[in-house]
Amino acid sequence: MSFIGDALTILIKDLLLELRGRESLSLMLFLSLLILVIFNFAFNPDKDNVSSMAAGILWVIFAFSGILGMGRMSVAERDEDAYLSVIFSPVSAESFYLGKALGNLLFLMIMECFTLFFFAVLFDFEKIIGLLPQLLPALFLGTLGFALVGTLFSFLSTASRYGEILLPFLYLPVVVPVILGGVTSMDMILNGKSGEAGKWIQLLVVFDMLYLAISLLVFRYLIEE
Amino acid sequence: MNIIKLKGISKHYHAKTALKGIDMDIGAGACITVFGPNGAGKTTLLKIISGIMAPTEGKAFYNSRSYSESEIKKETFYLGHKTSLYNALTVMENMDFVCRLYSFKQREKSVESALKENGLWERRNDPVNDLSQGMKKRLALAKGFITDPKVVILDEPFTGLDIRWRSTILSKIKEIRRRGKSVIVSTHLVEEGCELADHVAFLRKGKLLFINKREEVDTKEIYRLFASMGEARS
Amino acid sequence: MKTDRTITILFFLLLVLIPLDFFLIFRVAPTEKVMGDVQRIFYLHVSLALGALLAFTGVFVSSIIFLWKKKIVWDSVASTCAGIGLLFSTLVLITGSMWARPIWNVWWTWDPRLLTVLILWFIYIGYFLLRGGIADKFKKAQYSAVIGIIGYVDIPLVRYATKWWNSIHPLLSQEGGGLDPVMKKVMLFSLATFAVLTIFLFLFRFRLAGIEERLEILKKKMED
Repeated sequence: MSFIGDALTILIKDLLLELRGRESLSLMLFLSLLILVIFNFAFNPDKDNVSSMAAGILWVIFAFSGILGMGRMSVAERDEDAYLSVIFSPVSAESFYLGKALGNLLFLMIMECFTLFFFAVLFDFEKIIGLLPQLLPALFLGTLGFALVGTLFSFLSTASRYGEILLPFLYLPVVVPVILGGVTSMDMILNGKSGEAGKWIQLLVVFDMLYLAISLLVFRYLIEE
Repeated sequence: MNIIKLKGISKHYHAKTALKGIDMDIGAGACITVFGPNGAGKTTLLKIISGIMAPTEGKAFYNSRSYSESEIKKETFYLGHKTSLYNALTVMENMDFVCRLYSFKQREKSVESALKENGLWERRNDPVNDLSQGMKKRLALAKGFITDPKVVILDEPFTGLDIRWRSTILSKIKEIRRRGKSVIVSTHLVEEGCELADHVAFLRKGKLLFINKREEVDTKEIYRLFASMGEARS
Repeated sequence: MKTDRTITILFFLLLVLIPLDFFLIFRVAPTEKVMGDVQRIFYLHVSLALGALLAFTGVFVSSIIFLWKKKIVWDSVASTCAGIGLLFSTLVLITGSMWARPIWNVWWTWDPRLLTVLILWFIYIGYFLLRGGIADKFKKAQYSAVIGIIGYVDIPLVRYATKWWNSIHPLLSQEGGGLDPVMKKVMLFSLATFAVLTIFLFLFRFRLAGIEERLEILKKKMED
């Protein structure tokens, strides 16, 4: 009970931090919009090919905005060594990790819904909004895996003197299975092959559980010096 | 009774040795000031005592149990060079967060009295970013003391403060001492450091030059040591 | 020193094994009917992959031992293994590319196995990037152990995901396939040779790291 309660304390603090500092989610949303515009120039998608490109474009945006946001969230902890007050408290490292991961998950989901909406508007692709109920489970599971690994790695990379710059280099290769799962399942659903997406969703569940287990096991080693 | 015991502690960084064979006993309720020039290893030593940094060699004990099995971190308040505050949050929110971490009942009351005691009550709704350096330090101390730690470790608590703030912080530390906490302070301010302590230690190039009772140490000797290293302080 | 003797013995053993291996590959093994002589790269390619896998397993195991025992020597073991793994996986990618060019007429193919090696390569590059960014030995060891563990656990996930992903794209290569008995023997010999080479490189590099460490300590003593 207090394990979850402690995680929620951390989560609430992160929400408050975003509300006051506007350093993570707001930047993510802004970057998403920017990349959307650039993709428009790069691919100039039209009605015929947009659905085949959508999943790829969206996941590239999710990945890079996500990395930016999660990096910022960790910097907020490392700045002024604020996380030390958690480390010296009775709250366990695992609760701390879980709270941070939940915060990242929440911000990522908000950013993704925002991006989906603007994708639909800017690329004239209303279909994606209609398919949202079908898309959500896969999107959620993909994002969950993304946040679980991302929380761990953003904390890891900000410990080095390169800081958050290192995050994509360490994180992207490791999270490839999740990105593959996320992008493929979304692509299938958007192109009327929802049936086949099922097995990818199962795979994502397995990945998420594995990543959660291993992150909980190793996170405490990242807060010792 | 010793609350903390260090045995043969060494710490190596990539190409340099920060600490070499440190042995130290810290009694319950004792106050130790660690003097030393910059780069002598004071910060490393304090981090190791606090339990957030593992030594390369040697062992540390808290209440005669090795650190990994002890509650050292939970009963320690460590304040390093940085404030451990969330700059974007307000004074109140920072305090409230800590109280939640410790699952305190009656959070509002204890936060209110802690802030009033430290003259921060009027600034309670200001973000930490807007506070002066001295205010931040005071908030950081107030935030640490509200958790009622048994061991207090302060790394250079006077750095970057003017004389007025120095004396405020100094009296604050003395007050904690009276409450029976074990206090370990690092500084190179000889006057302030000696005023606080019942034990004085001197660190040079990662080695403990001496650790003696305050009465047995001549202040001039410490000045002389600093001066011999070209770092005279007043 | 016992290690020194093992290193010497392995060195002379390899002096025989490697030329013999090459002789077997180029002279004894029959020429493959469809692919021709190019197929001979295959022996090296697979053996290197085995060496890389061995090395990364070494990283994984010693990372776990480090987090458990907190002895810095296990970090040296892990990083030595990671270096060898990185070298071998680079060679796997190069030989893979050399093979792909004449056989499939492309320099690179998104074959799930090659893709897995590439992702691994990225992960262990990251491993060394992180190590370069942390000065504190213990912290460096601790953090890279975390990558060493996660990176390794990730291998089957990447392998699985890329295989599934590949199954919806046209497949260029088939897995397995029957090998001629002589080919099989040459293959086994080559695998064994490279396993010995991996162990030799590890011991050699590890010994060197030990000497470097001692030199550093001596230097420090002289400074004092």
